[in-house]
Amino acid sequence: MIKKFVNRHMCGVFIAPAFLVTILLLAYPICISVFYSFTNKSLLGKPLKFTGFGNYQSVLSNPEFYQALWNTMVYTVISLSLQLMLGFILALALNRITRFKGLFRTLILIPWAFPMIIVTFTWSYLLNDLYGIVNGKLLQWGLIAQPIQFLADPRYAMVTVSLVNVWFGVPLFAVNILASLQTIPRDLYEAAMIDGASAWMRFRFITLPFVRVIAGLLIILRTIWIFNSFDLIFLMTGGGPGTATVTVPIFAYRMGWTLYSLGRSSAVTILLLLFLAGACFLYFRILDRWEREVSQ
Amino acid sequence: MKSKGLIASYLILTIAAVLAAGPLVIVICASLKGQYEIVSNTASLLPEEISFYWYRDLLEKTDFLTYVRNSLVYSSLSTILGMVISSLAAYAITRLGGRKQKRFTRVIVMTYMFPPILLAIPYFILVSNLGLANSLPGLLLAYMSFTVPFCTYLLVSYFRTVPREIEDAAMIDGLTRPGVFLHIALPLVAPGLVATAIFAFINAWNEFLYSLLIISSGSRQTVSVGLYSLKGGMETLQWGDMMAASVIVVIPSILFFSLIQKRIAGGLTAGADR
Repeated sequence: MIKKFVNRHMCGVFIAPAFLVTILLLAYPICISVFYSFTNKSLLGKPLKFTGFGNYQSVLSNPEFYQALWNTMVYTVISLSLQLMLGFILALALNRITRFKGLFRTLILIPWAFPMIIVTFTWSYLLNDLYGIVNGKLLQWGLIAQPIQFLADPRYAMVTVSLVNVWFGVPLFAVNILASLQTIPRDLYEAAMIDGASAWMRFRFITLPFVRVIAGLLIILRTIWIFNSFDLIFLMTGGGPGTATVTVPIFAYRMGWTLYSLGRSSAVTILLLLFLAGACFLYFRILDRWEREVSQ
Repeated sequence: MKSKGLIASYLILTIAAVLAAGPLVIVICASLKGQYEIVSNTASLLPEEISFYWYRDLLEKTDFLTYVRNSLVYSSLSTILGMVISSLAAYAITRLGGRKQKRFTRVIVMTYMFPPILLAIPYFILVSNLGLANSLPGLLLAYMSFTVPFCTYLLVSYFRTVPREIEDAAMIDGLTRPGVFLHIALPLVAPGLVATAIFAFINAWNEFLYSLLIISSGSRQTVSVGLYSLKGGMETLQWGDMMAASVIVVIPSILFFSLIQKRIAGGLTAGADR
């Protein structure tokens, strides 16, 4: 009885600092943001006034917000689907080969060692219309007559930043999926081959069920991360040209720090959070089902 | 049939390796081009003649080394502080066991969903009100918001592997709870602690938004924001400086990554198979 109490007490003490951090740095900001989103809070220090749903109304009637939402979706879908697909293919290939495994793994991990600022320096340079080697080579080989404005042309900018994100994110998928591939017992495949299962069936009924719980978790975390990501696009195009690459986080940043309207910016971020919460809930439902299937 | 798949695997990996490593090679070559060559000789990969002009320019004319030092200090402190808070919490969570443990870990994953851009506004105001704007403690405070949930999440999966029987035996031998934590649980998960600390360090090292908003003076800037101001502060973009800085930042990271890659491989999702 006493032992049990001590046990529980210790747990409380151990968790306390993390609990404080959670309250101060996660719960409090959310509450205060909700509060600000109903006021005219501004960086300029005007007296605080309640505006009701004014901020939400103004955001939801702003076509730029919908464009930002659309851009974020495009960015997330392109980035995530290609990262997952290419990461999976690379993991399967790495799992297959016998020689130079370490070398290939190190080389493929290289993009991941790039801090985002360096990712953007590198690709802004490579794709630059005047000084970049990509346009330089294409011109030299006579494949194009004019340099392609990868980042300055509104038609290409969104796809370009998405592909840069793919370049950066594939290693994470590859390494993590590889790790889970390596936990699959070899004799499962051997038994399946004796039973005459085709390569596709072995993939479908052995590889996929093993990998999908981890892949599912990766997808959740990366979706959230990409949806919320600010630095890559901010550093490469700043949201431009015009509003061609403005995603929701950048839209919120522009509201808050360029237009000084923290209240409206808070409304945008709260909407973003609600949207993500919905997506998260859905994912957890799916993940729970997969976990039950695996344990059965 | 079997060798076909193998050849395809090598082919795919070779293409991927070229795509992954190619940009780095181009950046290294560009950084070694001369003052004028970098903007004149753009179609060829190799420099006509190797020059260290841009490295000298970067180190002499900018505060690059100060930024690097700041980032090293901030990231280390944030890692240490985060690891202390998280290892305590993670240990306690695993000792709760069962449904409670699952619920706690789900809550932690959910904190990951809060957009940094949402948190940035309250932090900016909070830190200013506490008089910590433009200071190391102010930035560390903001860094805890992603370091603590992230580390706790990873560490829970490591602490789970510590057998309860060992702990119970130690407690019968007279060790207290904190004693068990310090002398038994922590040493047993040491490899996990190292892997987690590495991730935490990398996250802090790469962080951009909070340092952009909280740190305003140049001499306290992190690498990310320092280099960003380098890009924005000049009338014409100094590609040479940017390439030299990229090489200096990335090469040590890659060496470090190749040394520790066995340890971090799968670390991020090690706990997912619960």
